[in-house]
Amino acid sequence: MSAGGAGGEATGGIPQNKLIALGTLGGLAGAYGGHFLSVASPAFAFIGALGAICAIVWGGAAVRRVASYGLGTGVPSIGMMALGMGVVASMFGLAVGGIAGPIVAFITAAIIGLVIGVLANKVLGMGIPIMEQSMTEIAGAGALTIIGLSVAMTGTFMFDAVLETVVATGYIAVIFIAGGMAILHPFNANLGPDEKQDRTLMTGVEKGAITMVVAGIVATVADGASAIPSILIGVIIWYIAFSKYVKLVNRDAYKVLGTGLLPTEEELE
Amino acid sequence: MIDVAGIIAENILYIAMVTLGGMLISWSVHFVPVGGAPAAMAQATGIGTGTVQLAAGAGLTGLVTAGAVMAVSDSPLLVVASGGVGAMIMISVTMIVGTWVYVYGVGVPPASAKVDYDPITKDRQDIYVSQGTEGHGLPTVSYVSGVIGGALGGLGGSVIYYSLMSTSTGLTQSNLVALASIFAVGIFFVNAVIPSYNIGGTIEGFHDPKFKKWPKAVLASFVATLMCAFVGIITIGGL
Repeated sequence: MSAGGAGGEATGGIPQNKLIALGTLGGLAGAYGGHFLSVASPAFAFIGALGAICAIVWGGAAVRRVASYGLGTGVPSIGMMALGMGVVASMFGLAVGGIAGPIVAFITAAIIGLVIGVLANKVLGMGIPIMEQSMTEIAGAGALTIIGLSVAMTGTFMFDAVLETVVATGYIAVIFIAGGMAILHPFNANLGPDEKQDRTLMTGVEKGAITMVVAGIVATVADGASAIPSILIGVIIWYIAFSKYVKLVNRDAYKVLGTGLLPTEEELE
Repeated sequence: MIDVAGIIAENILYIAMVTLGGMLISWSVHFVPVGGAPAAMAQATGIGTGTVQLAAGAGLTGLVTAGAVMAVSDSPLLVVASGGVGAMIMISVTMIVGTWVYVYGVGVPPASAKVDYDPITKDRQDIYVSQGTEGHGLPTVSYVSGVIGGALGGLGGSVIYYSLMSTSTGLTQSNLVALASIFAVGIFFVNAVIPSYNIGGTIEGFHDPKFKKWPKAVLASFVATLMCAFVGIITIGGL
């Protein structure tokens, strides 16, 4: 079974290096911006979720590149692995790093991802030339997604607050699945011979906006973060991204026809 | 700054146990008859979904049962055994309901395309395999293999959870439970994906020729889990 791509590298669109820059810098800027500005006003916690969206788009692009080779198993596996590596690294980074937490988490995730990428090629013999790089990217994106969403939920990335509000309450499971879905779903939904990078990444933005709304709902119970800005801005981003996505689908489709509603029983007779 | 060397020296046994748990999970995935998308259309033997979903479903049930028993008992053997049994029940239920769907819903006999005779029941297989498919449903050998896989996966998951919970730490009990659970889940997913890349997404069970590749995945999981174990134990031990 080769669920996934056609067996070659995905091409076209924005170069991966630009997306790496967007994800890394945007993700870290979101985490730090949300953290420091939330001290002034909890309303700024939504910046963390914007950082998470940058990381999600980057992760989605990395999944797109590596999964185009055909992983042998479904695309979802790599998204779940991203968040699996990401959650281990981000909890470690936030716990030991203090103010440098997001950076420590990001570096730890990148190291774990790199080692797993090397193992996949050297031990498992997967033979995907960009596996090492992609695994590093995907793990880093996963860690930044978790930290960004944690900041949106609590207004800080200080471990005590994250532990109380996000981990002990179990919302970390929501981040795990929602973040994982946001990274794996764009390529999983758009893959095929007519797959285009802009359409895939727009799905990533749209999914990221949904996780932002979810983070906003969780923030209703937190002291350090306001819920309304996250939910409102999330809904606006979702609407814009979804409209653009529908436009891109119409652009790439050969023809879009309305089939009407299902016929009633009388009409069938 | 936290005393990394001290934490590692104090909890070296638990680091080893977490690593062992990860290797068990990696091995367990090779037993689970997973057919992926073709099996969902009854065109390959196994359960019709991906390795990760199956391993996660069974493994997380194991974690839940292990966690529930850990709240009332201190015995490590009881905790680990309950994790194994929980995962076995989960995977068995999934497989029996899947078999009902294949037999009564799709209308295909359970048959393996990898062997001519079922190694357990000695029933003929090849004449029941529909043309153009790679078997369908869950023959007895795949079912038995799946139950073994569930047991090993549940054991692995609960060993990881028990080790993280036993690490010496200053965390309160509820925070420790939450942190240990999410670490166990993270490590579980990593170790469920590594073997699924090793088998290329589908396997019928221990009678499948692909099963012989398991040492590679277990070796990869050993390295990957060892890293995660250090990171996890330092995090929990340092708080």
